[in-house]
Amino acid sequence: MAEMDDADDLGLPPSHGGGSGSKSAGDKMFSLKKWNAVAMWSWDVECDTCAICRVQVMDACLRCQAENKQEDCVVVWGECNHSFHNCCMSLWVKQNNRCPLCQQDWVVQRIGK
Amino acid sequence: MLTLASKLKRDDGVKSGRSSNTAPESTRRVSIRDRLLVKEVAELEANLPSTCKVNFPDVNKLHYFQLTVTPDEGYYQGGKFQFEIDVPEAYNMVPPRVKCLTRIWHPNITETGEICLSLLREHSIDGTGWAPTRTLKDVVWGLNSLFTDLLNFDDPLNIEAAEHHLRDKEDFRTKVQDFIKRYGR
Repeated sequence: MAEMDDADDLGLPPSHGGGSGSKSAGDKMFSLKKWNAVAMWSWDVECDTCAICRVQVMDACLRCQAENKQEDCVVVWGECNHSFHNCCMSLWVKQNNRCPLCQQDWVVQRIGK
Repeated sequence: MLTLASKLKRDDGVKSGRSSNTAPESTRRVSIRDRLLVKEVAELEANLPSTCKVNFPDVNKLHYFQLTVTPDEGYYQGGKFQFEIDVPEAYNMVPPRVKCLTRIWHPNITETGEICLSLLREHSIDGTGWAPTRTLKDVVWGLNSLFTDLLNFDDPLNIEAAEHHLRDKEDFRTKVQDFIKRYGR
């Protein structure tokens, strides 16, 4: 970056300073006028879509959306680190107590948002 | 198919338009199964094996369709085999119910149309049975493979057919083709 002393010269039009001024202004090939910052983000989960109802885990599941219970729909993480909607998974474990993605025995690690 | 998809859209419109106490009723008319099927049928039709065709007799019933498999290699080449696929209301917690409508001489399909395909098994101790992560596409590709890769003489449902193959492969081939001439054209 330019030193503070030189920064004053940046705004001068080339014609303004005459002979000596135009030389120092000509040294600056570019000046920063505007700066747009861009950031990326994603949810802190290994799979962001529930493999059972195929809706994003951070959104309410298909069932809760249909029944207007969006607020109650939470996410469950297994010991295998796979995540699903808690409502989707609790329906499935009634039939088969395994993670449908990796077939390991299903052990709940955490429930929450 | 388009009819149900547009119905879903319309219901969503109704849901956001009306007051909250009438909304759940209007959306409940479309089941979770049907919501899943709208996506799965589109995915299926976009990724159909070249030997398969699907037919929906009623475009408002995405849960019922017929599949025709015309194998282009192996013992069953030249045959045309019809399957009926019925997706129960509890889908995708339970697998679709599939029946073979064409009489066939096959180690994994009985003459009455019952099918032995691991992913269609509702309760299985290993990881090969039904799981809600599977889709209609997997079912159709699985059925299609029963005539090639998944043709399995070692764990038969039609034991007689498997033993026939073990005894005399050429005679087995003749009987398969004979069944095709009579029932599967």
